[in-house]
Amino acid sequence: MTSNLDDSRRASRLLRWYPPAWRQRYGEEFVDHLEQEFADRPINLGRTINIAYKGLVARASDMGLSNDEVNYEGLTRAALGTSIALIALMVVIMLDLWSRAMLAWSGRRYHPISVSATTGILTVAMGLLLVALMAIALMIAVSVVRQIVRGRVRPLVVPSFLAAVSGGFLLYVARSLPRMLGAYSHLRQGGVRWTHLGSTVYALAEITWELTQRWVTPWNQGGMGVSSVQVVMNDCVPIAMFVFGVALALLLRRVELPRIGARLVFPALTLLGGLMGVFFVAYLAWSTVGGPSNYEYFFPESQWLGVVYLIVLALVPVLVVSSTFLANKYQPRGQRNHIEIVSSRGDAA
Amino acid sequence: MGSSEDAITGLGRNAGAAVLVLSSLAGGDKHGYALVKDVEEFAGVHLPPGTLYQLLARLESRGLITALEADNRRRPYRLTAHGATVLADYIAAQQRILKTGQARLKLSWKLA
Repeated sequence: MTSNLDDSRRASRLLRWYPPAWRQRYGEEFVDHLEQEFADRPINLGRTINIAYKGLVARASDMGLSNDEVNYEGLTRAALGTSIALIALMVVIMLDLWSRAMLAWSGRRYHPISVSATTGILTVAMGLLLVALMAIALMIAVSVVRQIVRGRVRPLVVPSFLAAVSGGFLLYVARSLPRMLGAYSHLRQGGVRWTHLGSTVYALAEITWELTQRWVTPWNQGGMGVSSVQVVMNDCVPIAMFVFGVALALLLRRVELPRIGARLVFPALTLLGGLMGVFFVAYLAWSTVGGPSNYEYFFPESQWLGVVYLIVLALVPVLVVSSTFLANKYQPRGQRNHIEIVSSRGDAA
Repeated sequence: MGSSEDAITGLGRNAGAAVLVLSSLAGGDKHGYALVKDVEEFAGVHLPPGTLYQLLARLESRGLITALEADNRRRPYRLTAHGATVLADYIAAQQRILKTGQARLKLSWKLA
């Protein structure tokens, strides 16, 4: 009796390796199967490893990171959603790297940067990335409102709440940006010359650096000319960006997109992956050929940490493009390059 | 024939285990553990639980097998008509390879 109870507990523990959707479909029969296995083969490390590994594969598939799942609609949605969340996370690091690159462009700390090919490529790639992300967020927001008006609210409640809270916080913080800019312009004595492109980019880079640098290098204390309340708020910005990205990913998995949106999601994500690639190549080229005069600004304090960021930054665009390519490849013929309007939860459009 | 073979070879390194599962179900409906015991009996291979359920999910999504109503916690699986055709085509292709190999071994090596 005790042995049966132990077997049942062990089986239930092993089931936790699998994602919720899988457990819902196969959980009961899988536990029953394991209990019978335990009776025949009490101790077996190979079996435990097999279950753990297959459970992780099922989880990766659930997130759209492998092609193991053959539920095409779910796979496509999962791949797109995960890509969006990854990009949102990477954008925090990229914004920090961009700001460092801009600030380090000149040997003199408060000298306005010159607009050149590399600063131009980095700034334009970063700007387009943000615009594309905002366009996707807007499209999802409109689709969410449409679906709510039609009364199919339930699958959207949690991600909408997360998106509203994190997005609201980001907007609130954005209100204080002019004040922060004022603080920096005092330091520069001459103030920000908005008509001078180099000066404007430099000022924006300073604020971006202020918002991101304590996350990218937590031991680096900034906050020069900024109140302690503002410093805490700034520290929460990357978390809010990540939560916003995750909320977008969940919404993308659950929302009924309009036809045009469904067609545009694949090209938009390929564009995002491409822009990240362009940013990475330009950044890497600049750091290895020429580079800024004060090198220590370029990599975040620890050179090894900088290298790790660059490796991650190189991997993410590859992951984004390959996961969307895989998702698209495994779509049934005639359905490639777009996703279904019916949500992955099975609600009718 | 090509598409039938693809249905199995598309499973990658699990293709061999998939043939074992389909062959077992060709003999009648079975739940997970009965399948494992049957495969063990006719092929001498033990399918680990993780591998078996990954395969069942993939074979089901490809329409080669179908899940029946669960009896208590045990859910039996059945080979579909499409699954039977795919298995037959695959076995026929393997038999051709087998015969060629046997004939050549006999001719050149006096074996088999």
